[in-house]
Amino acid sequence: MAQPQPQPPNQDERRKQGRSNLTWILLVLTCLIVLAGPTMIVLVLGMLPTLVALIIDRTKQKSNSLCVGSINFIGVFPYIMGLWGGINDFNAAFTIVGDIFNLLVMYSAAAFGWFLFLTMPPIISSFVIVLQQRKVAQLRAEQKDLIDEWGAEVAAIVEVHKMEKKEQHMEHGMEGMGGQP
Amino acid sequence: MANALDQAVETAAAQEDAPVSPVGDGSASVPATPNDTAAPSAALPSDKPDQKPVDKPAPAKPKGKPTGIPEAPRNAPQPPLDAAQFPPVELNGRYMIYPAMALPDLNSPQAMAYSVEDRREPGRQLFALICKPGLPVRTSLMRELKSQNINGMIPMADYGPVFWSPVDQTAVAIVFERPLGGRFLDTFGDQPPRVNEYELGKLILEPVARAISELQAVDFAHRAIRLDHLFFMDKERRELVVGECLSSPPGYDQPVIYEPIERAYAMPSGRGYGMSYDDMYALGIMTVFALLGTNPVAKLNDDEMLSAKAENGSYQCLCGNERIPMALIEPIRGLLSDEEFERWNMEALDHWLNGQKKTPIQRRPATKPKAAFKFGGRDHMTARSVAHAFSKNVPEAVKIIKNGKLEQWITSSLGETVLTDAITGIIAACKVNEGSPDGSDDILVSKVCMRLDPHAPIRYKNFSFLPDGFGAALAVEYLRKGNFQIPGEILARDLLSFWVGAQESRTPDLTSQERTFQTLRGFAKINEMGYGMERCLYELNPSLPCQSQILRTTYVDHIDDFIVALDQVADHVDTRSRPMDKHIAAFIVTHFKYDIAPHLKALSDKKEETSLIGLLSLYALMQWRMKVPTLFGLSSWLGGLLAPAIGTYHSRTTRRTIEQEIPALVRQGSLPELFDLIDNAERRHIDTTDFDEAQVAFAHAEAEIESTVGEGVDQNKAALEVGERVTAMIAIVLSMIATTVIIFVQTM
Repeated sequence: MAQPQPQPPNQDERRKQGRSNLTWILLVLTCLIVLAGPTMIVLVLGMLPTLVALIIDRTKQKSNSLCVGSINFIGVFPYIMGLWGGINDFNAAFTIVGDIFNLLVMYSAAAFGWFLFLTMPPIISSFVIVLQQRKVAQLRAEQKDLIDEWGAEVAAIVEVHKMEKKEQHMEHGMEGMGGQP
Repeated sequence: MANALDQAVETAAAQEDAPVSPVGDGSASVPATPNDTAAPSAALPSDKPDQKPVDKPAPAKPKGKPTGIPEAPRNAPQPPLDAAQFPPVELNGRYMIYPAMALPDLNSPQAMAYSVEDRREPGRQLFALICKPGLPVRTSLMRELKSQNINGMIPMADYGPVFWSPVDQTAVAIVFERPLGGRFLDTFGDQPPRVNEYELGKLILEPVARAISELQAVDFAHRAIRLDHLFFMDKERRELVVGECLSSPPGYDQPVIYEPIERAYAMPSGRGYGMSYDDMYALGIMTVFALLGTNPVAKLNDDEMLSAKAENGSYQCLCGNERIPMALIEPIRGLLSDEEFERWNMEALDHWLNGQKKTPIQRRPATKPKAAFKFGGRDHMTARSVAHAFSKNVPEAVKIIKNGKLEQWITSSLGETVLTDAITGIIAACKVNEGSPDGSDDILVSKVCMRLDPHAPIRYKNFSFLPDGFGAALAVEYLRKGNFQIPGEILARDLLSFWVGAQESRTPDLTSQERTFQTLRGFAKINEMGYGMERCLYELNPSLPCQSQILRTTYVDHIDDFIVALDQVADHVDTRSRPMDKHIAAFIVTHFKYDIAPHLKALSDKKEETSLIGLLSLYALMQWRMKVPTLFGLSSWLGGLLAPAIGTYHSRTTRRTIEQEIPALVRQGSLPELFDLIDNAERRHIDTTDFDEAQVAFAHAEAEIESTVGEGVDQNKAALEVGERVTAMIAIVLSMIATTVIIFVQTM
């Protein structure tokens, strides 16, 4: 009988960490539902677009989710404040989420979040590109000054590193080719 | 102008193939010297291999007396030089030497004589010998003679280098008292120079013996005692002296017959310093000639004469068929003894001169072999004679050695089984090394000759020398060929150790010589500045002037004069070349008493800049140690060469600063200052540190650029990601503001 392959230690750790996080989330959610059930109903239903954004956002930074969520929250927060300032029970909560106008406000905020996320980054990125180009030009000028003062040898380390990288790349390439049938 | 090299070459070449003297023609067995084949100069030959003779006057012919007494040929009278074109030169601020006033009668074989005026004592009768540039002269003996007079030898007044305009070179001039009575031989005119037995002791033996004795007291041998080299100092011809021995290496000018057998086998430059025993032998030969008025072996050529000496003994060879007065038999036999330990020394001669008798030397006839050994068309009766013949004909000798005939003869005729074993061992060793230089035919014959005749010189490829003559032989060989090929091979093959090993007993002198040669071998192996054969040349010839081409117009034989001489030639040389070569490096390391090993190491570095810094540091050290205040020429020369050394600094600013400061330091003539500028430790440290920092800064900048616009980086995507992050941040901030406002409004 074949022996089971031992899992790499970091994979095991990650799995354990994931289980631990899930346990904590469930525990907190249970507590919140028990302690602030009406608020949670408004929040969950009002923030549904954010949940969708979270699900479809596969990036590591989750910028999309953060952007939509932040603006969505602006739309939801006044109703939560209403609950906290008035009758804070399940009926009031269902009344709020049952009113289509309220939902329209919440989801419009989320839509505005989406709008922001779709329009702002290209504008900002063009600024960023300009800034980066300026920075590169400045660095190139500094390097030229260094070469003028110290000669081409000052770049020797960089050249050596580049060569090493190339060599490594070549070696890996050869290994890859060697691994193929 | 003429070429001393030619003369030296011819001399050295002639020693290998001693000319056969015409029988009874009076020229006898005179060694072929420069004058036989190469023309002596109008005034003085030049020594440098690259200099061609310009003016070759007629060679001097040995005097054609019917006596057959050999003479060392001297330079023939030269056409007079124009006094206006060649003005007198000053020696040591006192003596004026006149190139236009030659004194051919006083010429030496390797030096020409000129009239001299003493400024302090006008009217003093002097003459000067101008030595051949490059030929090693006996400076140490000159130094000794300057401080003390040797009775029985021509008095030396002064010596030193002078710039000799006829050859456009610096040469050594030696000033002597002029012998007013002329040469001893000249007093006889065409008559045989016969001196009767009653006058011989007082006239010749006493003064010459006094000279030998006084020279021995200061640890020198004359090595130029011969009949044609005797002079009368006074007009009345009462005071006889022996001529000079300073203008050439010891024994260099001696006709072969005057040399003891083992030294006679060597080439003239390789005969060695010798000892008073060798002078005593020459005195013996001279006595025989003076007594008989002729050369009894004039009909023999040098090889035949040497074979006769080897087989019968010198006395028997020369006097065997002559009538020698009874009273002189013992001294002549004693002086001509071929065994050094038997030969009469000064004490024995003194006793005889004072009328005391000495126990006669028992003549021991050489052991005759059962059969003669045929080689080279001759029957050889001794191993010594065979060895000499072998060295003259290597290809034939190899055949005889390899076919076993030699071993057979040694065993059957000489009965020397130990020698046979030794020869067998040499043949076997050469077979093992066949194909390599250690197994060559020349090595085989050379080693066999050493075994056959252990006292004879080392003979290899026509280069024959006794160990104490290796220095002079090396110098003359360089003069001849401009290279050290054969001496280098001799050191590499370690023939000197073999020669020492072949001797019957090991004396402290032999051990010391062996040690010296091991050291030289070590030097020769290292192919770096300050080592090699050049180092051997100067180690063995401490008084030899520096042979560098850079210093060819000057005469530098002392380290104190070196740096100043180099400074002086700086204006006349191509300053794109370096003021350094292997000769200069070897000369410095031999004579400079401070440790310069690190400088030499740097000097030999393949990197030009390191080598230049080594060069500058060496000369800076010399200027500082010798306390020479200014060296403008050399500073300027070196300053112009330092560009690669300045280039060792990374910083362009530092380089520019140094370049701007060099002219000022050159004007100061200070090499230490120049060196401090070029290789200042603090400046170099700062330069290195700053350069390292600059490298790091450059690498950081490169890394940043790479991360922004480098390979594999999608700048638009990255910028878009930044935009998304910024948008998210804006949204969060907006959310926080809005939340705060809502809370604020609700709670109001």
